[in-house]
Amino acid sequence: MSRGKKQAKQKITWKEVKRQKVLLIWSALFVIYGFIFYYLPLGGWIMAFQNYKPKDGLFHSKWIGLDKFKFLFSDAAFIRVIRNTLAMGTINLVTSFIMAIVFAILLNEVKNVLGKKLVQTISYLPHFLSWIIVTGILHDALSSTGIVNELLQKFGIISSQINFFAHESYFWPIVAFANLWKETGWNAIIYLAAITAIDPSLYEAASIDGAGRWAKIRYITLPGIKPTIMILLLMNVGNVLNAGFEVQYILGNGLVQKVSQTIDIYVLNWGISQNDYSLGTAAGIFKSVVSIVLILIANRIAKRSGEESLF
Amino acid sequence: MKRKKLTALLLTAAMTASVLVGCGGGDAGESTETTGSPETEGGGSDETAGTSADGKEIIDFTMFIAMPGPEINDGNEIQEIIAQKTGVRVKETWLTGQTAAEAVGTIIAGGEYPDFIDGGDGQMALYDAGALVPWDDYLEKHPKLKEMYSDEEWDRFRQDDGKIYWANIFQNTYGEDKSTTHNDEAFWIQNKVLAWDNYPEIKTLDQYFDLLERYAEANPTMEDGTEVIPYTALCEDWRYFCIENAGQFLAGYPNDGSVIVNTDTMKIEDYNTSETTYRYFKKLNEEYNKGIVDKEFATQTYDEYIAKLSTGRVLGMCDQWWDFYATVNDVFKQQGLDLKGCNYVPLGLTIDEGMENMWHTYGDTQNLANGVAVTTSCKDPDAAFQFLEDCLDQEIHDLRFWGVEGVDYMVDDEGLYYRTEEQRMQWANKEYQASHRCVYSYMPQYLGTSRDGKNSMNPDQQTSEFFSALAQPLVDCFEAYGVSTYVEMIGSVNKETGPWFPMYSFSSNMTTETPGGVAWTKMGEVKHEWLPKVVMSNSFDSTWSEYMTAYEGCKPEDFLSEMQTELDRRVSLAQ
Amino acid sequence: MKKKSLGDRIFEICNTIFMVAFVIITLYPVLNTLAISFNDGIDTVRGGIHLIPRKFTLQNYYTVLHKQNMVTGAYITVLRTVVGTFLALVTNALLAFIVSRKRFLFKSQLSLFWVITMYVNGGLIPTFLLYKNLHLTGTFWVYVIPGTVSAFNMLVLRTYMVGLPDSLEESAQLDGAGYMTIFVKIISPLCKPVYATVALFVAVGQWNSWFDAMLYNRMSDKYTTLQYELMKLLSSVMQQSGSADSARNSANSITPASIRAAATIATMLPIVCLYPFLQRYFVTGLTIGGVKE
Repeated sequence: MSRGKKQAKQKITWKEVKRQKVLLIWSALFVIYGFIFYYLPLGGWIMAFQNYKPKDGLFHSKWIGLDKFKFLFSDAAFIRVIRNTLAMGTINLVTSFIMAIVFAILLNEVKNVLGKKLVQTISYLPHFLSWIIVTGILHDALSSTGIVNELLQKFGIISSQINFFAHESYFWPIVAFANLWKETGWNAIIYLAAITAIDPSLYEAASIDGAGRWAKIRYITLPGIKPTIMILLLMNVGNVLNAGFEVQYILGNGLVQKVSQTIDIYVLNWGISQNDYSLGTAAGIFKSVVSIVLILIANRIAKRSGEESLF
Repeated sequence: MKRKKLTALLLTAAMTASVLVGCGGGDAGESTETTGSPETEGGGSDETAGTSADGKEIIDFTMFIAMPGPEINDGNEIQEIIAQKTGVRVKETWLTGQTAAEAVGTIIAGGEYPDFIDGGDGQMALYDAGALVPWDDYLEKHPKLKEMYSDEEWDRFRQDDGKIYWANIFQNTYGEDKSTTHNDEAFWIQNKVLAWDNYPEIKTLDQYFDLLERYAEANPTMEDGTEVIPYTALCEDWRYFCIENAGQFLAGYPNDGSVIVNTDTMKIEDYNTSETTYRYFKKLNEEYNKGIVDKEFATQTYDEYIAKLSTGRVLGMCDQWWDFYATVNDVFKQQGLDLKGCNYVPLGLTIDEGMENMWHTYGDTQNLANGVAVTTSCKDPDAAFQFLEDCLDQEIHDLRFWGVEGVDYMVDDEGLYYRTEEQRMQWANKEYQASHRCVYSYMPQYLGTSRDGKNSMNPDQQTSEFFSALAQPLVDCFEAYGVSTYVEMIGSVNKETGPWFPMYSFSSNMTTETPGGVAWTKMGEVKHEWLPKVVMSNSFDSTWSEYMTAYEGCKPEDFLSEMQTELDRRVSLAQ
Repeated sequence: MKKKSLGDRIFEICNTIFMVAFVIITLYPVLNTLAISFNDGIDTVRGGIHLIPRKFTLQNYYTVLHKQNMVTGAYITVLRTVVGTFLALVTNALLAFIVSRKRFLFKSQLSLFWVITMYVNGGLIPTFLLYKNLHLTGTFWVYVIPGTVSAFNMLVLRTYMVGLPDSLEESAQLDGAGYMTIFVKIISPLCKPVYATVALFVAVGQWNSWFDAMLYNRMSDKYTTLQYELMKLLSSVMQQSGSADSARNSANSITPASIRAAATIATMLPIVCLYPFLQRYFVTGLTIGGVKE
C-alpha cells in the first residue's frame, strides 16, 4: 500500500508483534467493529443490480445487471448533474477551506482574549440554524426589494434591480456564500485547536529575532497547522461529490434548474420519489467509487511530496 | 495518582463494553428487550390500561400514517371517551422527515407492522409484501362500513387478487352535500376589486386581466402606500401547478390533473400543447410585459408567496384553495384586511365566453391509491374492524369532529349544533387539540349531513358556522352576485364526472419502470424550466416553439398512450 | 515589550474591522431567528421581521415547551449526548493513538480501512436490517453504538497526536511503561485541545440528531429525543397550515416559521452554554509545559 520513503516500513517480526500485542488486540476489535457497522451494510449495494422491491427484500428481488447504471449514464440530465455537483463541490471546498483557515489565523491574531472568545462563539452559531432558516434569510436579502439590491442601487453599482435567482450565473456563487455564511466559524474550530498546539516559545524566539506579524504567520502558524490543513484537504477532496442537497433544493427554481440540480436531487426526482431504491443505490455506488479514487490519487500525491497523508 | 488509575480503569471498561456490544449486539440489546415494553418494536396489540364501559378491557392499537400530522397526548380526553365507548384506543404515529415510500420501505424491511396503517404512496408496496388483511369477510359483518360505498365502488378497490385491502376514508358524503367552500383550484380575485367595478360578470381570462389592469391603474397603491401586485403565479417545486394546469380548466374540463379526457371521443388529450393553453400563456406573457404579472413570480418561494398574499397587495392569482387560504385568511383577520375586502373569491373562468366550467366537481372523488388498512401483525383483527365500524357511529363521529357537547359545541332549540366564539378559539388552540381533541383523521369518516338530518357531519360544512365567519365585504359580494357560498360563486356546471375521474390518481403513481413514467418525469422537468421562461419571454412565439421542441423531446406520446390504456381499463371496469 | 510598528497597527485596525463585519454578518441570522421566535406567528407570515419582534408573544415557546414527551426527549437527549460523547472520545482517541504509533505494524492498512468508511454507505434499508438483527432497534444503544468510531474524528485526533514529540513515548518506554499507560498518562493529557474539539463535534452531532430516533424508535415514546419531538411538532404544524381541514373560523397563531424559530433557539441555548467550558481549551490555548524535556 504505502511505500513511505521517509521512514522505512516496519518489518513484521514475532518480536515486534509481541511488543505491540496490546495495540494489535485493540486494532482487531476496532476492525471487527468497523466491519460490522460500516462494511456489512454495503451488502445492500446489490440493490443497484436488482429491481429492488420491498416485498422481495434483498435476497429475492429480480436481477437486472447494470441496467440502472446504463440508465444513469445514458441520461444527459445525469451527466449535467454530475457537472453541477462537481462544480459546486469544488467551489465550496476551495472557498470554505480558505475562509476557515484565514478566519482562524486572523482570530488568533486578536490579542484581546475576551473579544477573541466572543467573536469565536458568535461565529459558530449559524451552524445551529437549519438550512431552511439560513436560505430563507438569504432569499429575502437577495430579493428585488432586499438589502443587497438596495445597497447596490444606493452606491450606483446597478441601475435596476437584479433578480438574482433568475440567472444561472449567480447560482453557484450564492450557494458558495450560503455555505461560508453558515459554516466558516464552525470549520475554523479545528484550526484554532491546532494553533494551540504550536509551542509559544517559537513565537517568542521569532519576536526576539525581530520577525513581524506576517513572518510569524507564515513561518510559524501556517507550518504549525499544516498537518491539519493537509488532512482536512485530503478528506474533503473525497467529498466533492457530496455538494449537498438541501441548499440547492431550496434555493433552486425552474429557471436555474440546469445548474442547480445535484446528484442527490436527481436521485430524489428519479429514484426515491418513485419508489425506486435501486437507482439511488447505483448513484451512491458511483459517488463512492469516485470519492475513493479521488482520495487514493490525492493521498498518493501528498505522500510523494512528503506531506501528511491519510494512510 | 489514585484518580488517574480510576480514570484509566473506567476508560478501558467503557471501551470493552462498547466493543463487545458492537460485535454481537449482545448484552445491551437483549437486556433492554426483556425490560422494554412490548410496544417498542412496531406494535402488537397489548391489552392494558383500563376497561371500557361494558367492563371489557380496553385494547391498545398502534397506527402509522404515512403523512405528517398532529400528535395527540397520551390520555387525550376525547380519545379516552371513545376508548370507553368502543373498547379501543389507537396510538397514531405520523410521517416525519421522510417520504412515505421510504418510511413504508423500512417498515416492510423490518417485517413488523403497526395494527393499522395508511401507507400513502407506499400503500401498494404493503399489499405486495402481504402485510394487509383483506376486508371482504369483515365488510359483510359491518354494515356501516359497507355503506360507505356502493358495490360498484367497492369493486374498484379490489386488487389483482380480487380482494379489498383498504378504502379511501375521505370525501364520502353522507346524505345531502353541504359543501360551502370551493376547496380546489380557481382564478381568485380580491372581492374589493369586484366591488370597485360594481360586481361585473367576469367569465373569461381576458375579462379577468382587463379588470385587474383597470383596477391597478386606478389604485396603484394600497392605503399604506404599498404597491399592489395585480397578479402573481407560484412556480415553486411541486406547487407549480399554480401556473401549469389552468389550461385544462379554461377549456372547460375538470381536474384530471395530468391530461384531458375528451368525453365525446373517450380519448386522452394533452392540454400542454392545446390551443387553450397556448392562448393562456400568451396572455400571461402579454401581462408580464405590461407589468401586471409579478416580476418575481418565477423565483419566489412558497413562504414569500404567502407573505405577499398576506399583505393584501396581490389582487389575483390562480391556486388551490387549500394551498393559501388558511394562513392568508388568519393574517387578514388579524390585520383587519378582511374588512377592507381583501378576501379572495373564486371565478370560474373559461378561455372563451359561453362555455361551461368544471373548476368545481360535485360529489365524491374516489381515491383508490391508499387508505386505512389492517395489517397482518394485528393480533385482534376482529376488534380492529369493529373499531373501523364504530368510527362511523354517529355518536363517535360527533365526538371526533364536533367534540363534547356543552364543552366544544352547543345545541340550540332546533337541535342545530353551533360553537360560541370562545369554543371556536379553544377548538383551534394547539395545546387544547393535543390534550382534548381526537379526530382519528385517517379513520373512516363522512362529510355531508349528519344522521339526524339537520347538522353537518363536519363542522367546517355547518352552514351557520360558515356564515358566522364571513367578513361583511364577502357577504356583500356574494349578495351582489346572488349566491350564498363559494361553490355557487364559481358557478361550475353540476355534471357527473366519469368513473375514470380523476386520471391523476394514475399518473401520480407512475414510475420510471415504464416509458410513460420516464416521459412523465421528463415532461415535469421541462415544464418547470420553460413555463416561466415562456411567460417572461420578449418574443413569445419563438420561445413557445423552443419550449415545444424541448417538450416533444420528452416523448409525451409514451405517457399519453399509457394514460389511454388506463382510461380504457377504468371505463371497461365501470361497465 | 517592543513598540508596535505602523504595519502592526494597520493590521490590527483592519483585522478588527474584519472581525466586526464578520460578527455582524454571522450574528444577523441568529438574531433574526430570535426575533421571529418572540413574534406572533400569524404576524410573522407577513414578513419584514428583522431584529426586533413586531408583535411580542411567548406563545411560540409555550407551544414548543408544552409538547408532549419533552421531558423524556430532553432526558434521552442529554443522556445520549453525555454517553455518546464519552464513548466516542474514548474509542476514537484510542484508535488514533494506535495508528499514530510510528512503529505500529499495520498503520497505513488500518488507516485506509477507516478512511474508506467515510465514503461508503450501504443505504437506509440494509442499515436498518443490520441494527434490527443486532437488536439495536427499539433501544437506547442505537444512538450511541453505531456511529461511535468515526474516521473523521479519529483522523483529527491522529493528526494532533502525530504532532507530539516522539521523545515522550520513548522515554516512557524506557521507564517500562506499556502502551496503555502511555496513552492514558502521557498522550491524553497533552491532547486536551483536540479532545475538546472532538467532544464538541460529537456532542453537537448527538444533540441535534433526530433521524435515528425516528427511524429506529418510531413507534415508541420511550427513547424519543428532543429534536425528534420538535421535528414532529414542526411537521404537524406545516401540515396543518396547508391542510384541507382549513375552514378555520378562528385565528390560530401557530405557524411553521415561528415554531421553527422557537425550537431552534430553545435547543441551541443549552449546547451554547456548554461551549465556554470547551472553548477555553482551543481558544486561549495551553502551554505544553514540561514537554520539551
